[in-house]
Amino acid sequence: MMKALKTTFTALLALTGASSAFAATPLQLTSDVYVERQIQRADGTKTVTLEKPTMVTPGDNLVFVVKYKNVGTATANNFVVTNPLPAAVKFDGTSDGLEIVSVDGGKNWGILGTLRVAKPDGTTRPALRSDVTHLKWNLNQPLTVGAEGKLIFRGVVK
Amino acid sequence: MKTRKLLRHRPDTGRHSIASALLTSCIIAATLSANPAYAAGTLAGTDIQNIASATFDTAGGPVTIQSNTVVIKVDELLDVTVASTDPGDVNTSPGATGNVQTFRITNTGNGNEAFGLTANVANGGDDFDPTLQQIVLDTNNNGVYDAGVDTVYTSGVNDPVIAPDQSVTVFVITATPAGVVDTNRANVSLNAVARTGTGTPGTSFAGAGQGGGDAVVGSTTAQATANGFLAVRATSVVLLKSATILDPFGGNRPVPGAVVTYSLVATVSGTGTMNNLVITDPIPAGSQYQAASITLEAAALTDAADADAGRFTGTSISVAAGNVPAGQTRTVTFKVLIP
Repeated sequence: MMKALKTTFTALLALTGASSAFAATPLQLTSDVYVERQIQRADGTKTVTLEKPTMVTPGDNLVFVVKYKNVGTATANNFVVTNPLPAAVKFDGTSDGLEIVSVDGGKNWGILGTLRVAKPDGTTRPALRSDVTHLKWNLNQPLTVGAEGKLIFRGVVK
Repeated sequence: MKTRKLLRHRPDTGRHSIASALLTSCIIAATLSANPAYAAGTLAGTDIQNIASATFDTAGGPVTIQSNTVVIKVDELLDVTVASTDPGDVNTSPGATGNVQTFRITNTGNGNEAFGLTANVANGGDDFDPTLQQIVLDTNNNGVYDAGVDTVYTSGVNDPVIAPDQSVTVFVITATPAGVVDTNRANVSLNAVARTGTGTPGTSFAGAGQGGGDAVVGSTTAQATANGFLAVRATSVVLLKSATILDPFGGNRPVPGAVVTYSLVATVSGTGTMNNLVITDPIPAGSQYQAASITLEAAALTDAADADAGRFTGTSISVAAGNVPAGQTRTVTFKVLIP
């Protein structure tokens, strides 16, 4: 799996036309998506499992995991992770609540409760989870060599 | 909350960030236009692509990196609802043909799907079973049955293909048997099944979904049935005739010179209205009709064939009582002389 991820990673860098500048990539960023499946056991109890899906249907609960690790030789400062929400996914929260979000395609950012959405009649209403288009995490601590972590958010297939 | 205060917004700088921003905006533009809001959910075959990016500062300046892209395909959900759209019972009468009942089939799944239709006229719990004449698709989409314009449905030949969140109107045409009576009702049901397959929710048909994914049976089991009712509206009339005699001596004996007043009471029963009720009675042989003696509901009528409802033909009287609602009576009287 890791091998496959690295291949994709390199290809993407090549696309940006800056592969030489990243000869020694100081940071690894990987994205995984899991789907929650409820399985009913023989005794009637239900258990929730996470599996890696290739197929989902509307209403499925997804768990997105973004892992980061400093694999370079220097501390990375002002580390910011951005994840545009796929259009077919409705944001369903994070476990730590440390994210800031955008409800306008990444132009303005803030904590969800502070953002407002313009209504057709010119007034605004408080933004809802269903309005979220982007997620962003500003890690306020320098990412030292070898440091790693993961960011988790949930979504529902629209 | 302490960490929250420390969060900083860092303006994106550098060419890599711009490239990233462009890439991001392209993805948004593409996905927004390809994914309008559907009550039925994301269209089958849509790819959900997730990619994260990170920016950070190094000694060499700001750097942006992208994660791998995770792609998940949205499967087709098979769901359907059927509803009767008649405002109430559809009226019919004994021996009537061409009863039209209207149903609406809605694809509540997220892919284009063909549906097979079956009408059942032999449901239990009702009073009679009509005969199925045709199932007709509202091909001109005006919600009204247009005989000869809308297309007759043949199962497996012209199964309607319905887009997600869209509906089609279907007419079930039946005939009512002659032997039914007023207030009899018949349950006519229409069933729609997803041609890809049906089953318990979660049943999967590999590779059968729109866009190359699987097709998965949704909460409706991918089939649905709705009932509509025919109700017989029939009226009947009973005519009761009586006579009173007034003899020349103030008595009531049928002697020459006596005048007989006949009274005809028509009682309409059942449901609805009996239209164009006409009451006629021949003048008894050997008696003489008394001119201008016809009354309807105690109002005098003329003998001529004219605008008023009464008429004397020379051998009988005739009164056009018009449209009489069920539960009402009409009383006609006329007089004859015993010569």
